Amino acid sequence: MGDTVKIKQLLMNAIFEVFEKMFFVFLEPVEEDVNYDMIASINFAGPVSGNIDILLTNDLADAMVQNMLSVDEEGVTQKLIEDCVKEAVNMIGGNFLQKYDSSKVFDLSIPTFRNESAMLTNNDAEAADTTWSLPFESSEGLLGVKMSFS
Amino acid sequence: MSFNVLIVDDSGSMRAIIKKIITISGFAMDQCFEAGNGKEAMEVLSENWIDIIVSDINMPEVNGLEFLDQLKKNETLKEIPVIMITTEGSAERMQEAFNRGAKGFIKKPFLPEDIKKILFQVIGVSENGGYSEDKTIADECDF
Repeated sequence: MGDTVKIKQLLMNAIFEVFEKMFFVFLEPVEEDVNYDMIASINFAGPVSGNIDILLTNDLADAMVQNMLSVDEEGVTQKLIEDCVKEAVNMIGGNFLQKYDSSKVFDLSIPTFRNESAMLTNNDAEAADTTWSLPFESSEGLLGVKMSFS
Repeated sequence: MSFNVLIVDDSGSMRAIIKKIITISGFAMDQCFEAGNGKEAMEVLSENWIDIIVSDINMPEVNGLEFLDQLKKNETLKEIPVIMITTEGSAERMQEAFNRGAKGFIKKPFLPEDIKKILFQVIGVSENGGYSEDKTIADECDF
Protein backbone atom coordinates (compact mmCIF):
# COMPACT_ATOMS: atom_id res chain seq x y z
CA MET A 1 0.00 0.00 0.00
CA GLY A 2 2.84 2.38 0.92
CA ASP A 3 4.54 1.78 -2.41
CA THR A 4 1.30 2.36 -4.28
CA VAL A 5 0.83 5.76 -2.64
CA LYS A 6 4.50 6.67 -3.22
CA ILE A 7 4.38 5.71 -6.89
CA LYS A 8 1.19 7.72 -7.40
CA GLN A 9 2.82 10.76 -5.76
CA LEU A 10 5.98 10.42 -7.90
CA LEU A 11 3.87 10.16 -11.03
CA MET A 12 1.84 13.24 -10.07
CA ASN A 13 5.01 15.20 -9.34
CA ALA A 14 6.43 14.23 -12.76
CA ILE A 15 3.19 15.30 -14.49
CA PHE A 16 3.09 18.67 -12.69
CA GLU A 17 6.76 19.37 -13.41
CA VAL A 18 6.48 18.61 -17.14
CA PHE A 19 3.28 20.58 -17.67
CA GLU A 20 4.40 23.59 -15.65
CA LYS A 21 7.96 23.86 -17.01
CA MET A 22 7.41 23.01 -20.67
CA PHE A 23 3.79 23.95 -21.36
CA PHE A 24 3.01 26.57 -18.68
CA VAL A 25 -0.14 24.62 -17.77
CA PHE A 26 -1.10 24.31 -14.10
CA LEU A 27 -3.08 21.18 -13.35
CA GLU A 28 -5.43 20.29 -10.50
CA PRO A 29 -6.45 16.70 -9.69
CA VAL A 30 -10.16 16.00 -10.11
CA GLU A 31 -12.40 12.98 -9.55
CA GLU A 32 -14.57 12.88 -12.66
CA ASP A 33 -13.67 10.97 -15.79
CA VAL A 34 -14.52 12.47 -19.18
CA ASN A 35 -14.21 11.71 -22.86
CA TYR A 36 -10.83 12.80 -24.14
CA ASP A 37 -9.94 13.45 -27.79
CA MET A 38 -6.47 11.95 -28.20
CA ILE A 39 -3.98 9.56 -26.61
CA ALA A 40 -0.19 9.37 -26.56
CA SER A 41 1.56 6.32 -25.12
CA ILE A 42 5.02 5.20 -24.14
CA ASN A 43 6.41 1.92 -22.82
CA PHE A 44 9.33 1.57 -20.44
CA ALA A 45 11.49 -1.41 -19.56
CA GLY A 46 14.19 -2.01 -16.99
CA PRO A 47 14.12 -3.16 -13.35
CA VAL A 48 10.37 -2.48 -13.67
CA SER A 49 8.35 -2.33 -16.87
CA GLY A 50 5.14 -0.64 -17.80
CA ASN A 51 3.21 1.77 -19.93
CA ILE A 52 2.02 5.38 -19.63
CA ASP A 53 -0.92 6.80 -21.59
CA ILE A 54 -1.82 10.47 -21.55
CA LEU A 55 -5.29 11.46 -22.74
CA LEU A 56 -6.11 15.06 -23.62
CA THR A 57 -8.97 17.22 -24.75
CA ASN A 58 -8.47 19.24 -27.93
CA ASP A 59 -8.42 22.58 -26.10
CA LEU A 60 -5.60 21.48 -23.79
CA ALA A 61 -3.51 20.14 -26.69
CA ASP A 62 -4.00 23.42 -28.60
CA ALA A 63 -2.89 25.42 -25.55
CA MET A 64 0.19 23.24 -25.07
CA VAL A 65 1.36 23.95 -28.62
CA GLN A 66 0.65 27.66 -28.30
CA ASN A 67 2.42 27.95 -24.95
CA MET A 68 5.44 25.82 -25.83
CA LEU A 69 6.13 27.30 -29.23
CA SER A 70 4.70 30.80 -28.73
CA VAL A 71 2.42 30.50 -31.74
CA ASP A 72 -1.12 31.85 -32.05
CA GLU A 73 -4.25 29.79 -32.62
CA GLU A 74 -3.83 29.83 -36.42
CA GLY A 75 -0.30 28.46 -36.06
CA VAL A 76 -1.47 25.26 -34.36
CA THR A 77 -1.36 22.30 -36.77
CA GLN A 78 -2.19 18.63 -36.31
CA LYS A 79 1.50 17.81 -36.77
CA LEU A 80 2.52 20.20 -33.98
CA ILE A 81 -0.18 18.81 -31.67
CA GLU A 82 1.00 15.25 -32.25
CA ASP A 83 4.61 16.28 -31.72
CA CYS A 84 3.95 18.18 -28.48
CA VAL A 85 1.72 15.48 -26.98
CA LYS A 86 4.25 12.73 -27.79
CA GLU A 87 6.99 14.86 -26.25
CA ALA A 88 4.84 15.33 -23.15
CA VAL A 89 4.39 11.59 -22.55
CA ASN A 90 8.10 11.05 -23.24
CA MET A 91 9.06 13.64 -20.61
CA ILE A 92 6.54 12.34 -18.07
CA GLY A 93 7.91 8.81 -18.51
CA GLY A 94 11.54 9.85 -18.18
CA ASN A 95 10.88 12.21 -15.30
CA PHE A 96 8.84 9.62 -13.38
CA LEU A 97 11.48 6.89 -13.82
CA GLN A 98 14.23 9.21 -12.68
CA LYS A 99 12.24 10.06 -9.56
CA TYR A 100 11.44 6.38 -9.02
CA ASP A 101 15.07 5.23 -9.16
CA SER A 102 17.77 7.43 -10.68
CA SER A 103 20.45 4.77 -10.06
CA LYS A 104 18.88 2.37 -12.57
CA VAL A 105 18.81 2.49 -16.36
CA PHE A 106 15.40 2.29 -18.06
CA ASP A 107 14.68 2.11 -21.77
CA LEU A 108 11.85 4.22 -23.09
CA SER A 109 10.12 3.34 -26.35
CA ILE A 110 9.44 5.88 -29.09
CA PRO A 111 6.09 7.50 -28.13
CA THR A 112 2.98 6.80 -30.22
CA PHE A 113 -0.08 9.00 -30.87
CA ARG A 114 -3.72 8.20 -31.66
CA ASN A 115 -6.36 10.77 -32.52
CA GLU A 116 -9.33 8.97 -30.99
CA SER A 117 -11.89 9.38 -28.24
CA ALA A 118 -11.16 7.52 -25.00
CA MET A 119 -11.82 7.49 -21.26
CA LEU A 120 -9.59 6.67 -18.31
CA THR A 121 -12.05 4.29 -16.65
CA ASN A 122 -10.46 1.04 -15.59
CA ASN A 123 -12.76 -1.81 -14.58
CA ASP A 124 -9.97 -4.28 -13.91
CA ALA A 125 -10.12 -4.56 -10.09
CA GLU A 126 -7.25 -7.07 -9.99
CA ALA A 127 -4.91 -4.48 -11.48
CA ALA A 128 -5.77 -1.84 -8.86
CA ASP A 129 -2.32 -2.04 -7.21
CA THR A 130 -0.40 -1.82 -10.47
CA THR A 131 -2.49 0.66 -12.46
CA TRP A 132 -2.99 4.34 -11.71
CA SER A 133 -5.59 6.51 -13.43
CA LEU A 134 -5.26 10.22 -12.69
CA PRO A 135 -7.65 12.84 -14.12
CA PHE A 136 -6.69 16.54 -14.01
CA GLU A 137 -8.24 19.84 -15.00
CA SER A 138 -6.67 23.14 -15.92
CA SER A 139 -7.93 26.45 -17.21
CA GLU A 140 -6.81 25.29 -20.68
CA GLY A 141 -8.50 21.85 -20.76
CA LEU A 142 -8.53 18.33 -19.35
CA LEU A 143 -5.84 15.68 -18.97
CA GLY A 144 -5.96 12.05 -17.94
CA VAL A 145 -2.91 9.94 -17.18
CA LYS A 146 -2.92 6.18 -16.87
CA MET A 147 0.10 4.13 -15.87
CA SER A 148 0.48 0.37 -15.55
CA PHE A 149 3.51 -0.94 -13.75
CA SER A 150 4.96 -4.41 -13.20
CA MET B 1 33.00 35.03 -33.00
CA SER B 2 29.77 33.13 -33.70
CA PHE B 3 28.97 29.44 -33.81
CA ASN B 4 27.05 27.07 -36.06
CA VAL B 5 24.71 24.86 -34.03
CA LEU B 6 23.17 21.50 -34.99
CA ILE B 7 20.02 20.44 -33.09
CA VAL B 8 19.20 16.72 -33.32
CA ASP B 9 15.78 15.61 -32.07
CA ASP B 10 12.96 13.59 -33.62
CA SER B 11 10.46 16.12 -32.27
CA GLY B 12 10.12 19.18 -34.49
CA SER B 13 8.53 21.03 -31.57
CA MET B 14 11.49 20.31 -29.32
CA ARG B 15 13.93 21.44 -32.03
CA ALA B 16 11.94 24.65 -32.39
CA ILE B 17 11.93 25.40 -28.65
CA ILE B 18 15.65 24.68 -28.30
CA LYS B 19 16.43 26.89 -31.30
CA LYS B 20 14.30 29.67 -29.85
CA ILE B 21 15.98 29.44 -26.45
CA ILE B 22 19.45 29.56 -28.01
CA THR B 23 18.44 32.52 -30.17
CA ILE B 24 17.20 34.60 -27.23
CA SER B 25 19.91 33.43 -24.81
CA GLY B 26 22.56 35.79 -26.09
CA PHE B 27 24.67 32.86 -27.31
CA ALA B 28 26.46 33.91 -30.49
CA MET B 29 24.72 31.55 -32.92
CA ASP B 30 25.46 31.99 -36.59
CA GLN B 31 23.59 29.27 -38.49
CA CYS B 32 21.25 26.72 -36.91
CA PHE B 33 20.90 23.30 -38.58
CA GLU B 34 18.35 20.62 -37.65
CA ALA B 35 18.16 16.83 -37.94
CA GLY B 36 15.54 14.29 -36.88
CA ASN B 37 17.95 11.54 -35.79
CA GLY B 38 21.62 10.57 -35.78
CA LYS B 39 21.59 9.44 -39.39
CA GLU B 40 20.25 12.76 -40.65
CA ALA B 41 22.72 14.56 -38.38
CA MET B 42 25.67 12.78 -40.01
CA GLU B 43 24.37 13.95 -43.40
CA VAL B 44 24.20 17.54 -42.17
CA LEU B 45 27.73 17.22 -40.75
CA SER B 46 29.07 15.92 -44.05
CA GLU B 47 28.04 19.14 -45.79
CA ASN B 48 28.33 21.86 -43.15
CA TRP B 49 30.77 23.19 -40.59
CA ILE B 50 29.25 22.70 -37.13
CA ASP B 51 30.73 24.11 -33.89
CA ILE B 52 28.40 22.53 -31.33
CA ILE B 53 25.74 19.80 -31.34
CA VAL B 54 22.66 19.56 -29.10
CA SER B 55 21.18 16.06 -29.32
CA ASP B 56 18.35 13.97 -27.90
CA ILE B 57 19.07 10.33 -26.95
CA ASN B 58 15.77 8.55 -27.58
CA MET B 59 15.35 8.80 -31.38
CA PRO B 60 14.38 6.36 -34.16
CA GLU B 61 16.90 4.88 -36.64
CA VAL B 62 20.18 6.14 -35.13
CA ASN B 63 19.72 7.18 -31.48
CA GLY B 64 21.82 9.70 -29.58
CA LEU B 65 24.28 7.21 -28.11
CA GLU B 66 24.86 5.55 -31.50
CA PHE B 67 25.33 9.02 -32.98
CA LEU B 68 28.05 9.74 -30.38
CA ASP B 69 29.80 6.51 -31.43
CA GLN B 70 29.74 7.55 -35.09
CA LEU B 71 31.19 10.96 -34.22
CA LYS B 72 33.93 9.39 -32.12
CA LYS B 73 35.05 7.21 -35.04
CA ASN B 74 35.36 10.21 -37.37
CA GLU B 75 38.68 12.08 -37.13
CA THR B 76 37.15 15.30 -38.46
CA LEU B 77 34.02 15.30 -36.32
CA LYS B 78 35.13 13.78 -33.03
CA GLU B 79 36.18 17.09 -31.48
CA ILE B 80 32.80 18.77 -31.93
CA PRO B 81 31.27 19.22 -28.46
CA VAL B 82 27.94 17.45 -27.98
CA ILE B 83 25.33 18.31 -25.35
CA MET B 84 22.74 15.61 -24.72
CA ILE B 85 19.17 16.71 -23.99
CA THR B 86 17.08 13.84 -22.75
CA THR B 87 14.41 12.56 -20.41
CA GLU B 88 16.60 9.58 -19.48
CA GLY B 89 18.62 11.11 -16.68
CA SER B 90 19.93 8.15 -14.69
CA ALA B 91 23.52 8.52 -13.46
CA GLU B 92 24.51 5.37 -15.35
CA ARG B 93 23.02 6.63 -18.63
CA MET B 94 24.71 10.02 -18.18
CA GLN B 95 28.07 8.35 -17.53
CA GLU B 96 27.54 6.17 -20.61
CA ALA B 97 27.00 9.30 -22.71
CA PHE B 98 30.08 11.01 -21.25
CA ASN B 99 32.15 7.88 -21.91
CA ARG B 100 31.06 8.03 -25.55
CA GLY B 101 32.15 11.64 -25.84
CA ALA B 102 29.28 13.87 -24.67
CA LYS B 103 30.44 17.08 -23.05
CA GLY B 104 27.25 18.05 -21.27
CA PHE B 105 23.79 16.91 -20.25
CA ILE B 106 20.41 18.59 -19.85
CA LYS B 107 17.40 16.77 -18.47
CA LYS B 108 13.94 17.39 -19.88
CA PRO B 109 11.86 19.19 -18.77
CA PHE B 110 14.29 22.09 -18.71
CA LEU B 111 14.22 25.81 -18.12
CA PRO B 112 15.69 28.19 -20.74
CA GLU B 113 18.42 29.08 -18.22
CA ASP B 114 19.56 25.43 -18.14
CA ILE B 115 20.30 25.40 -21.89
CA LYS B 116 21.91 28.83 -21.84
CA LYS B 117 24.22 27.91 -18.95
CA ILE B 118 25.45 24.64 -20.43
CA LEU B 119 25.99 26.10 -23.92
CA PHE B 120 28.30 28.75 -22.54
CA GLN B 121 30.07 26.20 -20.32
CA VAL B 122 30.66 23.63 -23.05
CA ILE B 123 31.79 26.03 -25.74
CA GLY B 124 34.16 27.62 -23.23
CA VAL B 125 32.85 31.15 -23.60
CA SER B 126 31.51 33.09 -20.66
CA GLU B 127 28.25 34.99 -21.00
CA ASN B 128 30.13 38.30 -21.22
CA GLY B 129 32.16 37.02 -24.17
CA GLY B 130 35.42 35.98 -22.49
CA TYR B 131 36.81 32.45 -22.66
CA SER B 132 36.36 30.19 -19.62
CA GLU B 133 38.36 27.21 -18.42
CA ASP B 134 38.10 24.16 -20.73
CA LYS B 135 36.42 21.28 -18.94
CA THR B 136 33.48 18.95 -19.46
CA ILE B 137 30.38 19.05 -17.31
CA ALA B 138 31.27 15.50 -16.26
CA ASP B 139 34.13 17.01 -14.24
CA GLU B 140 31.53 18.72 -12.08
CA CYS B 141 29.14 15.75 -11.79
CA ASP B 142 29.17 13.44 -8.80
CA PHE B 143 28.20 10.01 -10.16
